[in-house]
Amino acid sequence: MPLLKVDSVTAGYGDTEILRGVSMVVQPREVVSIIGPNGAGKSTLMKTIFGLLHARQGSVTFDEHDITRLAPYRVVRLGMCYVPQVANVFTSLTVEENLEMGAFPAGKADQTESKERVYAMFPKLRQRRRQLAGKMSGGERQMVAMGSALMLNPKLLLLDEPTAALSPKLVDEIFERIARISETGVAVLMVEQNARQSLSMADRGYVLANGENRHEGTGRDLLNDPNVGRLYLGG
Amino acid sequence: MAESAQTTGGGLSPEASEEDAVHARDTGGMRSRRFVGIVLFCVLAAMWLAGWYSGTSAQEMLSLTIWGVMLGGILALGGIGLTLCYGVLKFPNFAHGEFLTLGAYVTYGMVLVLPQSNPIWRFSFGWELIIGLLLAAVVTAGVAILLDRLLYRPLRRHQSPLVLLAMASLGMEFLLRGIVYLLWGSDFHFYYSGRSNPALHLPLGLRLQADQLFVFALALILVVALYWMLTRTRIGKAMRATADNPDLAQVRGINTEQVIAWTWTIGAGLAAIGGVMYGLASQLRPDMGFVLLLPLFAGVIMGGIGSAWGALVGSIIIGIAMQLTSAFLSPAYGPAVAFVLMVLVLLMRPQGLFVQR
Repeated sequence: MPLLKVDSVTAGYGDTEILRGVSMVVQPREVVSIIGPNGAGKSTLMKTIFGLLHARQGSVTFDEHDITRLAPYRVVRLGMCYVPQVANVFTSLTVEENLEMGAFPAGKADQTESKERVYAMFPKLRQRRRQLAGKMSGGERQMVAMGSALMLNPKLLLLDEPTAALSPKLVDEIFERIARISETGVAVLMVEQNARQSLSMADRGYVLANGENRHEGTGRDLLNDPNVGRLYLGG
Repeated sequence: MAESAQTTGGGLSPEASEEDAVHARDTGGMRSRRFVGIVLFCVLAAMWLAGWYSGTSAQEMLSLTIWGVMLGGILALGGIGLTLCYGVLKFPNFAHGEFLTLGAYVTYGMVLVLPQSNPIWRFSFGWELIIGLLLAAVVTAGVAILLDRLLYRPLRRHQSPLVLLAMASLGMEFLLRGIVYLLWGSDFHFYYSGRSNPALHLPLGLRLQADQLFVFALALILVVALYWMLTRTRIGKAMRATADNPDLAQVRGINTEQVIAWTWTIGAGLAAIGGVMYGLASQLRPDMGFVLLLPLFAGVIMGGIGSAWGALVGSIIIGIAMQLTSAFLSPAYGPAVAFVLMVLVLLMRPQGLFVQR
C-alpha cells in the first residue's frame, strides 16, 4: 500500500489546464524527486496534492484517506506537511514562533519536545530562536521552513524547490539535511531544479513535461537514461 | 504648527493623504521612527503652548493632556480591532465605528433593564453597567461574526476585490446606525442623568473624575491583556501568523476561518467596550461611532495599519492632539486635527510609525 497515490489528476487555473492526467506513488520512507522543464506543472502538482488547488479529475489518496477535496489544514492533520517555494516563513514572527505555528494542529501538547527535536536537527535555529524570521538569510529561512514542517513529525514531507536561489554551498547543505530527515523515517517528495543532485539522492524519480508523466524510474536509472539526460539534465 | 493645523485642517481628505504618501515614497522621504517621534513631540508641545498662550491655565492644559490619553485609550480599543481585521482580512472595515455605538447602546439598554445597585466607590455607575458592558461585548462580537458569515465571508469566497469588501462594510455602517436610530431614537442619552460625578482631588491641580480614571485604567488593562494574548497564546500567535501570510497559515494547519472568527470577536468586543467608555466619558449619540471612525482610522494609519502597537501609540497621539487643540479650536475640528497629524506622519514615514519596510 503506497503512502501517497496520485491517480490521473488534472488541474489548472481558470481556463488553463496545467496537469493533464498525472499519476505517481510515494512509498513509506521513500525519497522521490520530480524533475522537468519550467512550466511542466511540478509546483502545480505539489499544490494539488496538498489541497491548495483542487483536482478537476482524478484522485489523491494519502495513507488510505481520500484527500482529493480536503482543505490543507485537514491534510496537515493526516501527517503530510508542505514547504512552499517562496514566502515559506512568517517574516514577522520569531524563529521559535514559526516552529510553534508548525505544530499548531497538535494544540499545546508536546511542543517543547518537538522543538527540541527540530533544534537537534538544525542547531543554528536554536541560537537564533528569538530572531525574526524575516531578518534571516535565504538558507536560514529554508531551514526555518523545513523545521516548521517537521514539527508535527509528518509521514510525508513535500518540498517545493528547497534549493532555489541558494548558493552552491548552501545547496549541498540543504540536500544533506534532506538526507538526514529521510533517515528519520519521513518520506520526502520534492520538486527540484538541481535535477542531477536530487536524482542522485532520490530512491525514485519522475520526469514531468507539459503536465504529463514522461519518464519514471529509480534515481540512478533516470540519471543514466540518455533521453532524460539529453532533454532534462542538460546533456 | 498649531496655526497650520487650523488653516489647512478643514478641507483635507484622506485621498489627498494617500497621494502625499505615495509621493513621499517616490522621493525617498523616509525618516526613522525616532525622527518622526521627535517631530510629533514638538507638534504636541506647540499645541500645548498655543493653548496656554490663548489663555488656558497650565493645570487645565495638563488635565486636557490626561483626558487626551484617555480619549486615545478609547480610540485604541476601537483601533486595535480595526488594525487586526485589516491585518487578517486586508480590507478597512468601515462598519467598525458602529461596533462602538452598538456596545454603548446595548450597555445603555442593560442599565435601564437591570436593577440598579448603588454606585461603586466614587464612580457614577453601579454593577449593572459592568454587567451590561460584558454583555455588550458579547452581543457586539456576535453581530460582527454574523456580519462576517452573511456578508464578508461569501465575498471572500468569491475572491471579490477588496474595494468591494470595503464598500460593503461602509453599507453596513449605515445599516447598523439605522438600526440604532430605530431602536433608541436620535436623542442624546446619558448612562445616569442626575448623578453627581465630582472631580477627584489629585496633585498638581489635576481635574479628573473617578469615571475617567476607570476608563483610563480599563483601557490600559485591556491593551496589556491583548498584548499578552498576541505574543503568548497559541490563538494570538496564529492571528499574527494569519495576518502575516494567510496562505502559509493554511499550509501550517491553521484553520484560518477560525482565526478570522476570533479576530472579529476580539476586535468587536474591544470596540464595544471602547464605545461604553466613550459614552461614560461624554454622552451616547447614535452617530458617535461614525464621528469616531475618522480619528480611529487616523490613529491606526499613523501607527502603521496592521500593527497593534501602532494602533495603540497612534491613537494616543491623536487623542492628546484632539484634546489639546480643543483649548483654542472648536472641538468640531477634532477629526481634521487628527488627519493633519496623520498626513504629517505619512509624509515623513509613508508606512506609518510601527511598520518596518
